Amino acid sequence: MIKRLIDWLKQPLGLIAVGIALLAVFSFAAYGISLTQQPPEQPVQFPHQTHVAFGIQCLYCHPGAAKGPAAGIPSQAKCWACHNQIAKTETSLLLAPLKQAVLSGQPLEWVPVAQVPDFVQFNHRAHVAAGQNCENCHGDMSKVTIAENPQVFNMGFCLDCHKQVAGDDHEKLVKLVDCGTCHY
Amino acid sequence: MIRPEEIKMSADESGKWGMVIDQDICTGCQACVAACAMENNISFVGEKDSGYGRSMHWIRIERFWEGEYPEVKMTPNQPMLCQQCGSATCEPVCPAFATVHSQAEQLNLQVYNRCVGTRYCANNCPYQVRSFNWRDYERPEPLSNQLNPDVTVRRRGVMEKCTFCIQRIHKAQDKAKSEGREVLDGEFTTACAQACPANAITFGRVDDPESLVSQLAKKRGHGIKHLEELGTLPNVTYFKGG
Repeated sequence: MIKRLIDWLKQPLGLIAVGIALLAVFSFAAYGISLTQQPPEQPVQFPHQTHVAFGIQCLYCHPGAAKGPAAGIPSQAKCWACHNQIAKTETSLLLAPLKQAVLSGQPLEWVPVAQVPDFVQFNHRAHVAAGQNCENCHGDMSKVTIAENPQVFNMGFCLDCHKQVAGDDHEKLVKLVDCGTCHY
Repeated sequence: MIRPEEIKMSADESGKWGMVIDQDICTGCQACVAACAMENNISFVGEKDSGYGRSMHWIRIERFWEGEYPEVKMTPNQPMLCQQCGSATCEPVCPAFATVHSQAEQLNLQVYNRCVGTRYCANNCPYQVRSFNWRDYERPEPLSNQLNPDVTVRRRGVMEKCTFCIQRIHKAQDKAKSEGREVLDGEFTTACAQACPANAITFGRVDDPESLVSQLAKKRGHGIKHLEELGTLPNVTYFKGG
């Protein structure tokens, strides 16, 4: 049975079938990888570039980055503190979900964009304290609407920077490339 | 492969984090076992798999029989957890380098994302303190809300073991660094030590002669390190019969 199948695959039609199957698998994988690189659907098409252009600091809306592990996504109360003083909020279609959320008391369910897997323990505070700017990892927010990942957050990306920062300091290098620093 | 001369060399180095367990005041109440399970997201294995010897604990209370049958005597309660060996037998056997020695914290790490589940480390551990995730065990409804976000939730096919609450070590180090100081002795402790109502477990820096663990070890004297003759250089010291 298996021998007959192999014989059939060896003839020209069979080779074409194998080629098509390989192409299908490859394109499916490529599509899957490209999906992970696209920013997800958000409840509001939040324009980062507008807010950055007004001179609002990253830490104003994401203050957790300087204090602890998670940078945090601002609550709608924080959005509303500014937006209820802006006339455009009443008329803007883009802001309708925010107005709706504040009036109904239902939270806006933002979808996190920059994520690491569960087995990675990331701490924003340490990175901000070490003098890393937000854009080093998150890209230039003055150019995007919804946050996008400028790169894949994989271990190579982390370690490249960790090794560079440690430089010739052996003690620092030991700490920064130790498995237990991020994985536990 | 660890050669004998390396063992001798590392024997001169003291560990970093260590534990002192006083078996005389341990009541065997299992509070440490419960606290550890809560802190470290340990799965609830259930009756059936426990029957197969697949129960998961990072710390357990051991008791043995001494003597022949009618004249048996129970030994004191012995909390047994990963001894965080300086020269661990679990480390050289891992084919995936998932159990590695932390140079920074001097602990035996288990890197869950590297682990492929050969279970070689657990079979090679003389203390039998590693547990394997034989299944994805379900957490019934209210319990699923109490997972510790600082600890990875392990999935099926991954080995796990006591980490000396490395998440608490990192938290304390991070807090100390943000305040521009060193980590103070007793500033934080492991979940088992925190939960112990008799204060039988003490955790701290063994390389600091001023720390509470070093002081206790000096005061009590004659501490036992389990299976020390194997050259594993454990970092947990037991006291009994003081």
